[in-house]
Amino acid sequence: MNTVLWIIFLPIILFVIGTFMLGYSRKFIARIERRYGPPIQQVFYDVFKLMSKKTNISHGWMHDIAMLVLLGGTLATLYFVPVPGFSYFAQYGDMLVIMYILLVPALGMALGVGETANPNGSIGISRALMMLAGYDIPFVLTFIGFGMLNHTTSMYDLMMIQQAGGFTSWGLISNPLLGIAALIALQGMIGEKPFEVMVAPHEIATGPMTEMGGKFLGIMMIQHAISLVVELTLYINLFLGGAMNWFEYIIKLFVLFTVLISVNAVFGRFRTDDAVRFMWKIPLPMAVIGILFIIF
Amino acid sequence: MSIVSNLLLITLAGVVLNVLFYKSKTVQKYLSLLLFTALAYFSFTMYGQVGLHFDFPFLIAGQSIGFTITYLNYYFTIMITGITLLLVIFSLKYMEGKEGSTHYYTVLFLKTFGMLGVVLSSDIITFFVFWEIMSWSTFALMSTGGNEAPKSAFKYFVFAITASMILMVGVVLSYSLFGSFDFNIIRSGIPSLTLPMTGFLLTIFITAFAIESAVFPVHSWLPNGYSNTFTTFTAYLSGISTRIGIYGIILFLFGIFGMETVDKLSIIGKINFRYVLGVFAAITMVVPTFTALYQHDAKKLIAWHSIGQGGYMLIGLASGSALGIAGGMLHILNYLTYQVLIVFAIASVQYRTGTTNLNKLGGLIKKMPVSFLALLFGIIGLAGLPPMNVFVSKWFIYRALILEGYPFLAIAAVIGTLGTILSVYKLIHNMFLGQLPERYNDIKEVGFSMQLPMWILMIVVFGLGVFPGFAMGLIAKIQVSLGLAAVPYSLHGVTAEGGQLNMLVVNVLFVSGMFVTWIIYLLGSRRKHVGQYNNYAGGHFLNKDVAYNFNYEFYAAMEHVIDPYRKKIIERTERGIVGLTDAVSEYVRRIYTGMINTYAIYVLTAFVITIILLKELI
Repeated sequence: MNTVLWIIFLPIILFVIGTFMLGYSRKFIARIERRYGPPIQQVFYDVFKLMSKKTNISHGWMHDIAMLVLLGGTLATLYFVPVPGFSYFAQYGDMLVIMYILLVPALGMALGVGETANPNGSIGISRALMMLAGYDIPFVLTFIGFGMLNHTTSMYDLMMIQQAGGFTSWGLISNPLLGIAALIALQGMIGEKPFEVMVAPHEIATGPMTEMGGKFLGIMMIQHAISLVVELTLYINLFLGGAMNWFEYIIKLFVLFTVLISVNAVFGRFRTDDAVRFMWKIPLPMAVIGILFIIF
Repeated sequence: MSIVSNLLLITLAGVVLNVLFYKSKTVQKYLSLLLFTALAYFSFTMYGQVGLHFDFPFLIAGQSIGFTITYLNYYFTIMITGITLLLVIFSLKYMEGKEGSTHYYTVLFLKTFGMLGVVLSSDIITFFVFWEIMSWSTFALMSTGGNEAPKSAFKYFVFAITASMILMVGVVLSYSLFGSFDFNIIRSGIPSLTLPMTGFLLTIFITAFAIESAVFPVHSWLPNGYSNTFTTFTAYLSGISTRIGIYGIILFLFGIFGMETVDKLSIIGKINFRYVLGVFAAITMVVPTFTALYQHDAKKLIAWHSIGQGGYMLIGLASGSALGIAGGMLHILNYLTYQVLIVFAIASVQYRTGTTNLNKLGGLIKKMPVSFLALLFGIIGLAGLPPMNVFVSKWFIYRALILEGYPFLAIAAVIGTLGTILSVYKLIHNMFLGQLPERYNDIKEVGFSMQLPMWILMIVVFGLGVFPGFAMGLIAKIQVSLGLAAVPYSLHGVTAEGGQLNMLVVNVLFVSGMFVTWIIYLLGSRRKHVGQYNNYAGGHFLNKDVAYNFNYEFYAAMEHVIDPYRKKIIERTERGIVGLTDAVSEYVRRIYTGMINTYAIYVLTAFVITIILLKELI
């Protein structure tokens, strides 16, 4: 019974947290830039506004199905990521499943954008995929190292090991090189500056979103909010010892997110090749050295 | 009549009849369909006869030689015959009116004959003879279709001859060591060998098979060879033919030498024979996959991937754990299904548009939705993402590598997967998405006989993703029959002691997630479909005269990043190999002086040595 309730309400809870975090980030950046900024619930308004638009333009059936794959894949992913009080599905899919099921929404999205036949969209997808190759290699390598150290690929087990060992066994403290490498990769994963070249509103008209409007953009915003929380939770579970209760969890989410958007606020945008090169030259060798420390 | 002789006689009959009826393509077509259906039927009924022997009615060097049925070669036999049947169904329409296709079915039968002989053989001499037939027919397959084909087939020929010669050394050496050709006798003799001898013998065999399965430094024959021939042959060659090399590696590594013997071949600490094999596999995964990014031709792109995917099989086998070996073996079947599916989709597009050039296609999703769906299933498979079957085998491999403590081999597998995702998106985008060129406005979907094999393969690719247990049952039996630990599998993935994977749960969550999204989607107002010119263009008006598309140099930025590495490492390595070959050939060349006197001395010397050796033996 409890599990059923969790299954129903978990996506809604994560969506609410995600939209507040996005609103918080807009406010936070506005204050740094000495603007007043929109109200913190603005993202909510945006989603409801977009979902109730009368005109919805689509370019074909793949464009429609892409929306289902996009949000559906994200909804499937979030159950495999353990959150405080709910880890029922962790027994059916480990970290590797999460890493690869996370890519399914991206692929669905890419196919939908491709069908819109807008080169801005295609350029955006091409950049997003190149960025994926940039950040995913160091991120997965940190997880591989961590999993090898503890001889498991289950995220739940990794979280439990850290909770049993207390503060000093947190991934970030015990393996700082892996932790920092993953943090940099995470910045690319959530697509904040300096790694937001796939959106780049000033040059490619927001890339993948160019031909998206109305409920299509609304679903994309819902997905963005949820996947943001899921990706941050990945890092919390792997390197910040997970969370015992929801209070700790939300605190950790907001602290981690504040660190990331502070970087976002002060950086410009890297060119795609520079971003990929950066990912392969800074976090990747860090992760490799971290793993060498584990082996020897 | 045993079932093995049925299989071989049917294929041989196919060769002969196709030569006899070379004038009538209709007869050839339906005759081949009939014979391959019979072949598939017989091979599936082979399951009940595992353990059966079939010997030739004559002896070689006083020994009986022939065939046997084991779980391992049953696995390969059904793959060979099953895929050939689908291929023939696809070819019925595809090969209509193609030039130079007189001997299409003849070489197909000959190749199948060779491959069946290799996988079913129970001794090393039968293995070698059929290996030769297989190599020659591969050469024949490659040299049909197109003007470039004979040239690239010749390149394969050089490699194949080298592989055969190396294999020949292995055959002769093992006969002189064990006095027998039989696999069982060789297996029982292996432990008594000295370690350097074991290492040498194993290296010889593995090198020969590595050439056939295009492992990194000896892969260069494959891309042109596979992409210049008929597209259906590309499917056949890359789908199963290359994997016969992997069959050889499984047979010799686990079946004949055995894990215990192989693991004794240690260099220092963890760096043993398997690890070296794993490193080659890792390079094979990464380098060809990123080379595929540069390709502008769909067939060539997919040919490069067929090299890269071989690396996954090899690295799974090299990991040495039950999970990894199961992953490597399962990947052969999974690879076969999606690779052939992808090439069929490419062939359909080529059938309708006449080109496979990725810069000239686009937007075909509106015209050929079934081929699009086939390619979509195929590329999700190739990229190894859930919910397709390949995710299971790749999951096995990743997990095995992490738990066995090979982090750098594991990351090579991940890098390979990411490179694959990049290049397969380019493949599907440039063919089916983006703007539809005006010249393709009245293109139609391919006919039923070409769709049918694609639908079957789509069902297999998806079905084995949800229920990997169907294939795992056979894999576990193979593992037990090779004396390895069986992987703890269940119908939907692995049991709790094997890890956390349940594809049914993944799929149910995925489908219900899509269903929930569909409800959210329906909450909004109705969507309206618009044409491709109703598009944002920064204020410009679009019409058919405006090219508004992005597919040329799709990953230019990535190429900028990779180019220095490519130039520094890969090209230098290749130049090194070329230089070494040149130097060696130069010395070998000096043997052939062109003067009859020298040759006479060679013959005489060889004669004397032979007599001395024979005397010693007697």
